[in-house]
Amino acid sequence: MKTLALLVVVITGVMLIYAGQDLPPFGDSNTDMYQHRMTQYFIENSESESGVSNIVTALLANYRGYDTLGETTVIFTAGMAVMLLLRRRET
Amino acid sequence: MTGTLDIVYAEYNYWIYVTLMMIGFYAMIAKKNLIKKVIGANIFQTAIFLFYVSLADITGGTAPILPHGGEHVEHAADVIYTNPVPHVLILTAIVVSVSTTAVALALIIRIYNEYGSLDEDVILAARKSLQPEFSEYARQKGVAEVGDQ
Repeated sequence: MKTLALLVVVITGVMLIYAGQDLPPFGDSNTDMYQHRMTQYFIENSESESGVSNIVTALLANYRGYDTLGETTVIFTAGMAVMLLLRRRET
Repeated sequence: MTGTLDIVYAEYNYWIYVTLMMIGFYAMIAKKNLIKKVIGANIFQTAIFLFYVSLADITGGTAPILPHGGEHVEHAADVIYTNPVPHVLILTAIVVSVSTTAVALALIIRIYNEYGSLDEDVILAARKSLQPEFSEYARQKGVAEVGDQ
């Protein structure tokens, strides 16, 4: 069982490393992801549009506000599940 | 050989994340203790966070926080900011990670109260002795039983 688990883990790791060869080198700024106009737009315009100097905060709470609202639903659901599981049952 | 080493060095963040992720994956598969499985899942998730944050990093870049009071207009050309988009994704993922961990730990508390053990084999054996019809059902459906390893 442990041998099988180790085998699965090694195969998955080798596949991930192999797939990672196509990813850009560490710290490279000349990638599609960084040069994409969406990223550049956020860096240039997020302060004038949202009034927040922290770009991550502006993205999270302004551009992706609905996603963050959904995130609170996740937290709420998890909290409800924990409460239901740990509630003392009076029979 | 030096070419291979250069490639490995240029992308060492991927090697680190894959190693971490596989440590967590192995713990999730092979460990019998439920708490250790949850720890493995957390290591796995943290490896993903590391992967995304390392993708966002730019050499010589600073944190994506603009200087105060609109000064960034003059400095925009010469200051490099790291990519803020993966950071935002990971903030969301951290919230999901915390939620799943909370639910998993609550389930483990309930399991421990019910069976008095955190060991997978002990729990399955106790379940089998408590509910004979379950093991009968599992046998009919061909589900692997305790001891079939």
